[in-house]
Parts: sequence; C-alpha cells; structure tokens
Amino acid sequence: MKHRSKLSPEQQHAEQQSAAQVNQQQGAREFATAEEMLGFDASQTTVPPQIAERLKQSIAAIAPPPRRSWWQNLLGK
Amino acid sequence: MNDPAKGPELMERPPAGWPSGEIASLYEEHSRAIYYLALRFLADPQKAEDATHDVFLKAFRKLDQFRHEASARTWLYRIAINHCQNLQQSWHNRHVTANSDDAIWEHSAASTDSPLRALETKELGQRIQQTLDRLSEEYRLLLLLVADQELSYDQIAALVGQSTDAVRGKLHRARKTFAVLFAQTA
Repeated sequence: MKHRSKLSPEQQHAEQQSAAQVNQQQGAREFATAEEMLGFDASQTTVPPQIAERLKQSIAAIAPPPRRSWWQNLLGK
Repeated sequence: MNDPAKGPELMERPPAGWPSGEIASLYEEHSRAIYYLALRFLADPQKAEDATHDVFLKAFRKLDQFRHEASARTWLYRIAINHCQNLQQSWHNRHVTANSDDAIWEHSAASTDSPLRALETKELGQRIQQTLDRLSEEYRLLLLLVADQELSYDQIAALVGQSTDAVRGKLHRARKTFAVLFAQTA
C-alpha cells in the first residue's frame, strides 16, 4: 500500500463513529471503514470470463497483420 | 509490478488466444479493479462488462501513450473514469436504480465461496450498491478509488483533478455519508 497521510484526531473520531455504524449494521462481517467494505466487495467480485474472450476477438480484429518478410515481397508470396 | 519505464512486462509469446502480450499482462493484473469500478459506478453488470471491454480496447489502441505513464493502474483508471462518466451522461441516468434481480448479482460472489458466504456476500453487494446509488457521483467515485489499496491520495487527487487536501476532506464526508446511507439499507 502506498503511503496515505494520517487523519487528524477529530477526523479519526468521526471515522470511528462511522465505522461503528457500519459495523453495527453489517452484523456477521465487520468492516472498519467504507473503503474496507468496498475493498472486500471488490475482492469477492469475479470478472466475467466472457469479457476476456470478447477483448481477444476485438483486438485480433484490429491488430495489424504480421509483416511480410523482404523475400516474401520479392517472390510475391 | 511492471517497470513503469518499460510498460507492462513483455511476454515472449502472448498467452493462448491473446494477440498481444502487453494487453494480456495489463488485463490479467488490472481487470478486476477496472471491472469493479465500472460495476459499482454504473450499477449495471451488463454495462460494466461492456465498459471493461471498451476500456481495455482503448488501452490497446493507446499503448504508446501508456509507455509514458508512471502507473498502469492510474492510466487505466483514467480511461475507465472518462468512459463511465461519458456513458452516464449519454444515458441520462445519473440516478440509476440498481436492478434487484438476484440473478444479475450472482456472479459478484466468488465461485469458490460456500453457499452461506455467497448469500452473505450477495446481500452485502446489494446493500453497497444501494448505498452508492444514493451518493453523489463525486463521493461514489472517491470511495471506489480509495478502496483500491494500490492508489495513494496523490494519485486519487490526480485522477479526479483536485488537490490532495480537497480529496482528503471530501473523503471524510463521503465516508460519513456512506455509513449513514448504508445503515438505512438494513
């Protein structure tokens, strides 16, 4: 994780209050902050595999064809 | 992490099916982050799918630009944010209501989870989406970015075009608002 500046005492207190509210509502699974909850949610998210397949096809459609070597050009192959 | 000066690590041969090793590396490393941002920002799994595809396709077309960027992650986020904001504007749906159809959210839970955990995660995802939908676009985006541990406040500030201090202050308010709205989803 890259460095992030610490919060002021007032902000920390407010953060703890916010976190407590989140914790209270979450029940079985507790999170200290909104971003911790979102980070967990992100970690549980699966990228649909069809995106990669579509992307491969799209890239293949626009990628330049392999270059012909000089001897292929010369021989007209 | 890849060497930013060189861009993503060049594979001698692209993985099976990939025409480009560079984009394959970028996709492998960052697709989850980009998909998650799109999913929660757009509040629609199908749109998020399309957006993720389009973001990486744009990235492929702009690979030369990437080689001058310090971080692949922030570069991809910049493309994704612009793309998603453009979609929001063009669809005139700034106040999107999350689709409550359970089937749509099922793929948000990791397939290896136990049924109980999956159910719990699905409910959490729905509540998170309901909460994010009620936040302003600015707060929603800030919270989604700060949730990515790989981003510093400085990088987030650069992505949203504001000072680091402004971002810190807005995040403070965004967290509080999120907590209140989240409590209301119970």
